[in-house]
Amino acid sequence: MMYLIFLFSVCFVLGVLGVAANPAPFFGAVALVFGALGCCGVLVGLGGSYIGIVLLLIYLGGMLVVVAYSVALAAEPYPEAWVNHSVLMHVLGYVLLVLLVGWCFMELFVESGVDAAGFFSLRGDFSGVVLLFSMGGWLLLLSGWGLLLALFVVLELTRGRARGGLRVP
Amino acid sequence: MTVVHFTTAGTFMLSITGLALHRTHLVSALLCIEGMMLALFSALAVSYQTPIHTNTSLQPIIMLALAACGAGAGLSLLVASTRTHASDHLHNLSLLKC
Amino acid sequence: MSPLIWSLLITSLATSTIITMSSHHWLLAWVGLELNTLSILPVIIKSHHPRATEAATKYFLIQAAAAALILLASTLNAWQTGHWSIMHTSAHTTTIITLAILLKLGIAPMHGWYPEVLQGSTMNTALIISTWQKLAPLTLLYLINNNPPTNILLLMGVISALAGGWIGLNQTQTRKIMAFSSIAHMGWLIITLNLSLHLTTTTMMIYMITTTAMFMSLNTTTTKTMTDMGMAWTQSPPLTTMMMITLMSLGGLPPLTGFTPKWLILNNLCHMNLLFPTIILAMASLPSLFFYIRLAYFTTLTTPPNTTNTHHKWRFKPPLIAGLTPATSLAALLLPLMPMMIS
Repeated sequence: MMYLIFLFSVCFVLGVLGVAANPAPFFGAVALVFGALGCCGVLVGLGGSYIGIVLLLIYLGGMLVVVAYSVALAAEPYPEAWVNHSVLMHVLGYVLLVLLVGWCFMELFVESGVDAAGFFSLRGDFSGVVLLFSMGGWLLLLSGWGLLLALFVVLELTRGRARGGLRVP
Repeated sequence: MTVVHFTTAGTFMLSITGLALHRTHLVSALLCIEGMMLALFSALAVSYQTPIHTNTSLQPIIMLALAACGAGAGLSLLVASTRTHASDHLHNLSLLKC
Repeated sequence: MSPLIWSLLITSLATSTIITMSSHHWLLAWVGLELNTLSILPVIIKSHHPRATEAATKYFLIQAAAAALILLASTLNAWQTGHWSIMHTSAHTTTIITLAILLKLGIAPMHGWYPEVLQGSTMNTALIISTWQKLAPLTLLYLINNNPPTNILLLMGVISALAGGWIGLNQTQTRKIMAFSSIAHMGWLIITLNLSLHLTTTTMMIYMITTTAMFMSLNTTTTKTMTDMGMAWTQSPPLTTMMMITLMSLGGLPPLTGFTPKWLILNNLCHMNLLFPTIILAMASLPSLFFYIRLAYFTTLTTPPNTTNTHHKWRFKPPLIAGLTPATSLAALLLPLMPMMIS
């Protein structure tokens, strides 16, 4: 289990590294999905199966929207993937940075590894939503208020008279 | 510092470095913010990993809800700035330079 | 904008700041900050002008990144110490959180977004950003004050006071001048976190009063640039005089309100034997004073019987703001209350 979690962690780091290395946006979105898969794997490996699946569903939905936006808006004739020269430099730099920092903490890894029991361990992650709805009280109200507010914020940000810019109607 | 802690903190640092250093598209900047939120979610989710402190297990859910609000606002800002600036390149946002 | 949505946004803007200020848990503070950012965005972008859109985008990117950094540092703190209370933050994470809050406040090495956001929004929104939006981050700084990173606060404060005065010399737009004046004042303010928290509160209140008075005067006379100020006297001659006095108060000249925090801060720094920062701060207030006095010169000293040297500009009937009179009088006359303020 320990090796599996390590593998998923590497997948997570590599995914976010692919986003941070500034490729074309839809490659970035694909890399972020890869990272979300890795993050979900880590969480499931640690026993939080419910929270991992919530994360995966929400991120897949969100990233679908982002991919659609970026394909619609930032369509370049020659999109830069990770093997292009400028992006490759950043990828190599970030990989070196991660390896260096990881090497500095390497002895700590051995000292205190993750005690992972996988699916069978007793974790509290199912109780999160239950707690939010049963004893959350003001927190539930606050989250709902935030979502309602986000609805109106999006409405107000995107509508309005179109001023400036060059557009074909 | 275990593998998981290193991973979450490291991914956050990678994302914020990517946001700070070089961005050409606004979508990429928003993706970096999403990466930061992903790292924060996993950080919050691994920090409650004891059956004793179940009270902290609602933290990732709340964080995910508000991160979704932030992502929605970011995408609508993308739409608004594309309407007014004709593309989503960040170097177009230079009307207010000192 | 529909009045219902407007009232929802304003309510949320007020509530989220109060949530952050009254929270005891880092996640709740983060929720307040995030709601605050969300609810100010439509207020900034209200005109849907390209400049407004750009200002809202920049504001969102900076605030979201800084809030996420605050939450990461508090999670690190929870990993180390095991509790989420704002009051008990360990020293290392306090440093990270302080840097993130200084980014949210627009302190000098991280100040690049601040004048641009103020320039892109309307005068009233600029007033909200430079006063009300400062409250929540400053409260967090106030709350984590049990082991503050003193060197960083002192260094950033001095740099901020210097940069605010120095870059502000070059500006001609009143909102950018006010932004750099705000950066300089924030530099003075975060230095007081090292000295005493009563002093921080006093400085914050006086900063808010003087800045509000100045923005309200600028809004009443619809003054966008420095050449517009030359025709402010046609609107209201007494307001012109009060504007000059408010500018002097912002600069910190003695018989006015703005002198109080400067006096007390320099006094406290001298008592702590920090003579070098004291000298730099006192010197750094001079460029600020220069551009305030330049504004006052354009406003007041070019009035008749001199010949007019600016075009008369078209303006609509100005709004009569109710808070203008108390704000300007408070900005001028609060110095005698100083012994009450510090005790």
